[in-house]
Amino acid sequence: MELLVWLEHTGIANAIRTTPWMYPTFETLHYIGLSLLVGGIMLIDLRVLGFARSLALKSMIGLLPFVWVGFIINATTGTLLFIYGATSFGVNRAFWLKMVFMAIAGANALAFDVAVRRAGSDWVGADRPPPYVKVFATLSFVLWLCVVTAGRWMAYR
Amino acid sequence: MGFLEWLQNTPFGIWVGESLWAYPLFETMHTIGMAMVVGSLGLINLRVLGYKPELPILGTQQLLPLAWIGFTLNLVSGLTLFVSDAEHFWGSYTFRVKMVLIILGGINAALLGRRMFQEALPGAPPVVPTSGAKWIAATSLVFWFGAICAGRLIAYLP
Repeated sequence: MELLVWLEHTGIANAIRTTPWMYPTFETLHYIGLSLLVGGIMLIDLRVLGFARSLALKSMIGLLPFVWVGFIINATTGTLLFIYGATSFGVNRAFWLKMVFMAIAGANALAFDVAVRRAGSDWVGADRPPPYVKVFATLSFVLWLCVVTAGRWMAYR
Repeated sequence: MGFLEWLQNTPFGIWVGESLWAYPLFETMHTIGMAMVVGSLGLINLRVLGYKPELPILGTQQLLPLAWIGFTLNLVSGLTLFVSDAEHFWGSYTFRVKMVLIILGGINAALLGRRMFQEALPGAPPVVPTSGAKWIAATSLVFWFGAICAGRLIAYLP
């Protein structure tokens, strides 16, 4: 709790509190990042699961840079928003649930990435994702929806 | 009593506003639908603008079902959220700006669909986007991201 109080009184937190429009701007950027991150991940996951077959699997996996840009925007704005309201977010159950979902989704994404790299381009080029990769894709889709849901619920507890 | 006042005082409007989980549930639906619409239409628009030229333009039509699912989710959840506080939303300039941006985005999507997809004959050579189509794609991106910003700012601006 001391750490949370300290965070909330750092220069950054004070700047966000006292500068008009800072908080809504970060929140809006968080939504734009969300669209890139979750929009991109959904397209990749659904393509792995067999949606939109005219679009090559390799090209769709190539959308990952958008996902990363969205992730970086949201990690940055999310951290800033957290610092601003550390004492309330830090004890918010929906917030910690969101962090847990993100950690699992991140581990799952890492497993997917390893599967893509280890395959060389075998199943990617041949457009035949093995069943375990489809499990990763399904989990990813569901987990990111859980992240969004928990995030939305932070305002209500 | 006006229509908007009646609307937000219907049992449904009161339930959405007062239930502990209804408002966040429909907000969550709205956020997920947003990611679906912007993800799918965003990729189509970027492709028209020349991104990932190896993707067949006509093939990007296969992303449209995702856009429609997202749009339907957002129409249903958006109307539901609107009903709970109809007078406030209707009176909000930011809300009106968001509605205009969505209508413009919809018109653009229909125009682009007509230019890129419907006029192409089966077996015809690959479609090359005209500068007109590229303008539509570029303005669409502005409209959809503008709608996200306006939507977020309804809570802060008059």
